[in-house]
Amino acid sequence: MKMIYCDIAATTPLNKDVLDEMTKVSSSFFGNPSSIHKFGQESKAIVERARLNMANLLGCDLSEIIFTGCGSESNNIALLGLMKMGDHLITSSYEHPAVLKTANELEKNGIDVTYIKPNSSGLIELKDIKNSINTKTKLVSIMYVNNELGTENPINQIAELTKKHGILFHTDAVQLIGKKEITLRDTSIDLLSLSAHKFYGPKGVGALYIKNGIDLIPTHFGGGQEKELRPGTENIVSIHGMSIALQKSMEEKDEWNKKVAEYESSFLKKLKKLKINYTLNGSNRISGILNITFHDILSQDIVIALDMKGYAISGGSACSSGSAKTSTSLKEIKMDDESASKTVRISFGKNLTTQNIMELSDCISEVINKQYHKRVADVK
Amino acid sequence: MLNKNRVLVAMSGGVDSSVAITKLNEMGYETIGITLKLWETIDPETKIKKNSHCNSTEAINGAKMICDRLGVHHYTINEIDSFKKYVVDDFTNEYLKGRTPNPCVKCNSYVKWGNLIEQANKFDAYYIATGHYARIEKSSNKTMIKKGVDTLKDQSYMLWHINKDLIDRTLLPIGDLKKEEVRQYAKEKNLETSNIPDSQDLCFVMDGDYRNFLNRFMPEKMEKIEGGEIKSEDGSVVGTHSGFTNYTIGQRKGLGLSNPEPRYVKKINPISNTITVAKKASMFSGVCIAKEINWLVDTPKFPLKAFTKIRYNSLGSMALIEKIDESYLVTFEESQLAITPGQSIVFYNEETLLGGGIIEDSNE
Repeated sequence: MKMIYCDIAATTPLNKDVLDEMTKVSSSFFGNPSSIHKFGQESKAIVERARLNMANLLGCDLSEIIFTGCGSESNNIALLGLMKMGDHLITSSYEHPAVLKTANELEKNGIDVTYIKPNSSGLIELKDIKNSINTKTKLVSIMYVNNELGTENPINQIAELTKKHGILFHTDAVQLIGKKEITLRDTSIDLLSLSAHKFYGPKGVGALYIKNGIDLIPTHFGGGQEKELRPGTENIVSIHGMSIALQKSMEEKDEWNKKVAEYESSFLKKLKKLKINYTLNGSNRISGILNITFHDILSQDIVIALDMKGYAISGGSACSSGSAKTSTSLKEIKMDDESASKTVRISFGKNLTTQNIMELSDCISEVINKQYHKRVADVK
Repeated sequence: MLNKNRVLVAMSGGVDSSVAITKLNEMGYETIGITLKLWETIDPETKIKKNSHCNSTEAINGAKMICDRLGVHHYTINEIDSFKKYVVDDFTNEYLKGRTPNPCVKCNSYVKWGNLIEQANKFDAYYIATGHYARIEKSSNKTMIKKGVDTLKDQSYMLWHINKDLIDRTLLPIGDLKKEEVRQYAKEKNLETSNIPDSQDLCFVMDGDYRNFLNRFMPEKMEKIEGGEIKSEDGSVVGTHSGFTNYTIGQRKGLGLSNPEPRYVKKINPISNTITVAKKASMFSGVCIAKEINWLVDTPKFPLKAFTKIRYNSLGSMALIEKIDESYLVTFEESQLAITPGQSIVFYNEETLLGGGIIEDSNE
């Protein structure tokens, strides 16, 4: 059975050109980038070219990018590397666990943390951050795009606000990078986390942007790679792959954003036409991530039924246990438990066609109707 | 219309359920692996959540590997609420009443042959299957549960409480095999789970000690349980106990008594907060009362003669079962040692599982 993948927010398939590039590098280069000899030099050049390329694509200096193992690791390095006992951190209550749990950990170590709640549209309000700032506030960390809702926060305004108060600003931009243009040097963002597998690059590699002049305390120790912040021999193949993937994504983003927006609108139109009872959650969403409550079916049931029919969607964010669990973001936007249990995330990407989207809507309708008839039959 | 070729296979991720799904797949059934997430514990120190033994991360991953090699779907379905309601709450309440429950019995009837059947309906699957050591036999329009071929592993005792109508929708593909054969088959097929050790303890009691579990699960209730008197059968006080929930009928060790002839817990009375001990000779009884009877065959005529087991690993004895109002009086041909209220009493006609009930009160 052919599987149609509509869970692009969880991860993306590897771009074919990226794979070719990675194969080329892994079959020809193996030297340790720290070695003095030619083998080392070749590998070093691959890593540094990737850094230069990514810096150009993100509009920052190459000295401002460090390579990490993933988005989660970038978040950890940023938060743990900045916060000291007695400091105050402002973050949001619907961050990815990589920020949320790190903040929880910081609290245990004498750091005061304020968790701002998103409003019912799934957005962090500037005034809430403003009201939480105190003399001890060292850092504000707010995600760029929420991974479950697809809502885009007013990051530039928040960054300006923090700059005005002399506070550092970090953003987990894992769901944004590769989808939108960003010129970091024109923003007041101080630190930004990204992950390659969200933009058709390989898994197990990410990066952290650290504005020049900001010093982080290392949390891992070793051979001093990546400014001592992420020691360990560089994963040259994946770093190269990430750089190529970002380049491809940025080149193709306008064309694809347009297509994804079309998918989204024809999908929603079709759902209406099929008289499906749904609510689209969140406002100021980036195209491609749809958080939808289907009022007539439990999320677990629709996710499984669609999977059986060859359509992959998500019952929330992907979690490591692989089972459905109560979503943090939905709770934080005060969605009632019943609606939350009927909410799914559908995310569209480059792998799809309009035909797929139409078939997906028909399948959803079929699954919901079948369940409805079954319920009616059971009652009788 | 339910699909008679489709089977939902309950997968703990151990070798038994792995072989079960592999065999069904070989037989041509369209299989779907389901791991029921039943319980998680929170480490009091690190606050890290841990899945219980029967749905550990390794178990879920094991099930996923097996399903992947078969090219079939696998889903993890959360039934924690149901497991708590029907299994764990029942388990703790029984201990508070001074009784000794069989949580596996309730898990089978409410969760596996309850929630899993509901899932099967959603998947349009007629059948559910498990890796239990028991057999399903069809003869002349009747479907019955029989003992597993491996007499040491036979788990039919734990199945008496399931809904009779669901036997026809059940497949037990490893009941014809002995444990060694199951392992051998898993090895031959190179199943990733072939070397996973057998699960022994209650799946939700992580350290194997139910007393620690009770203390952690309901500290408020357990704090109220105080020490009390240990009495002999003549009513004289012979010692003190540390709280009646710490004892089970038939227990010999840990009583803190020094008698030339060992003493056993004969009765637990939570109301008077006393424990009665007796010599082994006095621990035998020829009768008991059973309630909550469930028949897996057409309701028999009474009095009924049946081979009867009073605990999972008891040898059993022939017994006469008489119905008295809503209760059943069971009279054993051979006296039974330490008949324990709360335990399942299970009836057989040779290999066939007839039904069972819960032991109410041993004869005084």
